Amino acid sequence: MNGKNSLSPSVSRIQPDDPPSLPREFPHPQSRRFHSSSAARPPPCTVHPPPAAPPPPFAPPHPGESTVYLSPLRCVSPSATNDSRKPIISSVFISTTNGLFDACATTRRNPTDSRPDLRSFEFSAADSSISASNPLRLLAASSSSQLIRSIRIKMSLATNSPAHSSSSDDFAAFLDVALDSHSSDSSPYEKAEHDNNAESERIKRRKVEKLENSEEDILYGAEEKSLEVLSKQQLCSHPGSFGNMCIICGQRLDEESGVTFGYIHRGLRLNNDEINRLRNIDMKNLLQHKKLILVLDLDHTLLNSTQLGHLTPEEEYLRSQTDSLEDVTKGSLFLLNSVHTMTKLRPFVHTFLKEASQLFEMYIYTMGERAYAFEMAKLLDPKREYFSAKVISRDDGTQKHQKGLDVVLGQESAVLILDDTENAWTKHKENLILMERYHFFASSCHQFGFNCKSLSELKSDESETDGALATILKVLKQVHSIFFNELSDDLVDRDVRQVLKTVRSKVLEGCKVVFSRVFPTKFQADNHHLWKMVEQLGGTCSTELDRSVTHMVSTDAGTEKSRWALKEEKFLVHPRWIEASNYFWKRQAEENFPVEQTKKQ
Amino acid sequence: MGLMLRSNALNLLFEDRFCLTLVVLARSQIESRNSHQVKRAASMFFHIVLERNMQLHPRHFGRNLRENLVSKLMKDVEGTCSGRHGFVVAITGIENIGKGLIRDGTGFVTFPVKYQCVVFRPFKGEILEAVVTMVNKMGFFAEAGPVQIFVSNHLIPDDMEFQSGDVPNYTTSDGSVKIQKDSEVRLKIIGTRVDATEIFCIGTIKDDFLGVINDPSAA
Repeated sequence: MNGKNSLSPSVSRIQPDDPPSLPREFPHPQSRRFHSSSAARPPPCTVHPPPAAPPPPFAPPHPGESTVYLSPLRCVSPSATNDSRKPIISSVFISTTNGLFDACATTRRNPTDSRPDLRSFEFSAADSSISASNPLRLLAASSSSQLIRSIRIKMSLATNSPAHSSSSDDFAAFLDVALDSHSSDSSPYEKAEHDNNAESERIKRRKVEKLENSEEDILYGAEEKSLEVLSKQQLCSHPGSFGNMCIICGQRLDEESGVTFGYIHRGLRLNNDEINRLRNIDMKNLLQHKKLILVLDLDHTLLNSTQLGHLTPEEEYLRSQTDSLEDVTKGSLFLLNSVHTMTKLRPFVHTFLKEASQLFEMYIYTMGERAYAFEMAKLLDPKREYFSAKVISRDDGTQKHQKGLDVVLGQESAVLILDDTENAWTKHKENLILMERYHFFASSCHQFGFNCKSLSELKSDESETDGALATILKVLKQVHSIFFNELSDDLVDRDVRQVLKTVRSKVLEGCKVVFSRVFPTKFQADNHHLWKMVEQLGGTCSTELDRSVTHMVSTDAGTEKSRWALKEEKFLVHPRWIEASNYFWKRQAEENFPVEQTKKQ
Repeated sequence: MGLMLRSNALNLLFEDRFCLTLVVLARSQIESRNSHQVKRAASMFFHIVLERNMQLHPRHFGRNLRENLVSKLMKDVEGTCSGRHGFVVAITGIENIGKGLIRDGTGFVTFPVKYQCVVFRPFKGEILEAVVTMVNKMGFFAEAGPVQIFVSNHLIPDDMEFQSGDVPNYTTSDGSVKIQKDSEVRLKIIGTRVDATEIFCIGTIKDDFLGVINDPSAA
C-alpha cells in the first residue's frame, strides 16, 4: 500500500498527456484515491539523507560496475566511470536493517540500446539463492517500508534513458536523488523528460507502462500467497500470536511459543522479546504517571471465602446477614451462588483499593480458578476501574503451584506484591510484602490448623482503621514516595525492591535480639526464619548475652536467659513480637507480647 | 446493483444481529462503485447451499416432521462456524430433504438435508468495521459479530500512543483521534482463522482510510 502511495504521483507526472485510450493509465482505481490523498498526507516512510561516507558493507565493485548500496538509512553510490560503448552493468545491493534480506540486482545494458532491461534483472540473496526473473517480484516480497525504496530504484532505472545518460554515474545519482527526495518530489523525472527528445520519451513511456503492469501485478497480487509467505518468513519475527496467527503479519503459526496471556484475551501469546519491549514502553508510561505496579492476592489478603457446605452451625447466622449484590461497594459479606461460596471482604478493602489505585497499576493474581477470580474482581471492583483485564488466575500461570511475574506486563523493578503465601513467590521474594492472613470463616482457620474460634464465630472482625490493610497501605505509600521523591538516581534505574528493603530494615533498627528456647537444639541458629526475619527488619541477632542486648525472645519465661533478661531489665518478648513487627512494618509494643512461664519448668 | 439489493435484503433479515457489518457491506459497495473499484468489493457474506445429515428422534415423526426437522437444523447450525464456510448466520430455506434412513437399534432416522444459508466469512485483505472491546498496551481487541479481531500496537499508526488510566486508549499527540472501548474502527484484515465457534482475525489500521470512524466520547 505504501508503495502504491509513493509511486502514484510520479507515475501520473510521467504520463500527463497520455491518450485516454491507453490501457492502464492508472494502474488500479485505488491508486487514484491514494494519489489524491498523498498530497495531504506525508509519505508514510521517509528516507533519511545518506551519511557522508559510510563504508560499503560489500566487497568492492568490479570495474565497469556501478554499485549502489541501499539500506533504509543510507544510500551510497561509489562513482565508477564508464564508457558508454561498453556494456554497462548496474548492480543494486539492497540490504535491510534487520539483515534478513540482502539481495543484489544486476542488469546488463546493451551499448547500442542502453535502456536497462529490467526483465533481465537478476536478484540473488546473500544468504540463500533467491532469484527471480522479474526483479519486482522480489522487491514486492520485501516489507512495505522497503517497498518504497525498491520502487524508487526501479523508477530511477526507468528514467535512465539513452539520450540523457549513458554512464552509471548518472544512474547512481538518480538513485541518490530519488532516495533523498520524498515521493512527491519529481525532480529526476521532470529533468529526464526535459532532456529527452520525443522519440526516447515515447519509448520510455512504454517502458514505464510495462513496468507499471508488472509492478501492478505484483502489488495487487498481494493475494499471491506464496509470495506473501516468502516475504513474511523473511521479515516478520512473529513477536506474538493471537489465535495462532502472528500479530504482525497474520501468518498462521503452528508451533506454540512464548507466554500465554489468557487473562487478557483467549488465544493471545507473546514472545519474550515482545514482552520486554512492552515492559520497557510501559515502564516509561508508568513513571511518567508516577505509578508503580501492585500485584494483589485475593484469598486471605483482600478477602476470605468459604464454600457454602463448609459453614459451621455457628456461622449459619451469616446467611441472613449477607449484603445485596446490587451495590457491592456498601457491603462486605456476600453470598455467591454461582461459585457456591460465601465471601467476606477484609475491612478497609474498598478504601485500600481506591487509594492504592492512585499510586499503582493493580493486578489480581490468585491461585483460584478463573470463574472465582472474576466473581471476586466484580465484588472488589464493580466498575472495572482497577483491574480491567488484569485478573490473573491459576489457569494463566506458567508454573504449577507457583506465581510468577512473567505474566505480569511490568518491569520487575517496579512491581510490589501483596500476598499471604511466601512460598508462592519463590523467585520474587524481594518484591513481596507478606500479609497477615485474614481468617474470617471457621473453615479457613481449620485449613491452616488453628483451633481457635474464627472471627465469624466470635461475631467480630478486624479493625477497619488499623487492620492489616490500613497498615500496609501506609507502607505502600511510604515506598511509593521514597521511590519517586527521595531517590537521587535516574528514574529508570530505581528499583522498588531496594526501597522495600530499606524500609523494612528500619523496622527493628537498633534492636539486638537473643533467642531462648525458640530454635530446636542442634539447629543452625542463623538459618532459622526468625533469625533471618530480624536481620531483614534491621535488627541484629546474637547468641551471646551482654549489655548491648535489647530484646530477649523466648517461648518460656523460666529459662536461664529469660531470667537474666528480667534481672537486667531487658525486654522479654514472645517470638510473635517479631512476626507482628514484620506484618505491621513497625516495632510492636513489647508489653503486648508477654512470655508465660510453662508449668513444667 | 444486484449485490446491493441482496445486501439490503440481508439487512432486513438480520438487522438485529449484524447490523454493523451489513452496513459495512452496503457502504463499501457504494464506495467501490464510486471509485470503480470492483475487485475490492467486500464479500464477507455468502448465500450458499450446504448439506447436513440430521438425526431425528422417532417422537418427532408425524404431521410436523418437516417443521421439527427444520427447527432442529436451525438450532444445530445457526451460530456455528466451520473453517471452510465461516459463520452460519441464518438458514434461509430448505432445498430438499432426502430419504430418511432408520438406524438400527435406536429408531433414530437420518435425513440428508440440503439447505440454503447465509454465511459470514472474513477474508484476508478485506476492510471491516468493528467495535473496540478492549484496549491495552499490546494493542486493542475489536468485535464484529462473531469475529474477534486483534490489532497489535505494531499495526496502529506510530503517532498514536497508548494512554493508561481509567479508560485506556490510543490517542494521537494532538488528541484529535482516540481509540477506546466502544469506539468503532475501520480496519483491514491481514489474517484469519476460523474455529468451531469463533473467528479470529488479525487486523491493521496502519493504512490510508483506516482507523476510528465513530468516537463514543465525542458523541
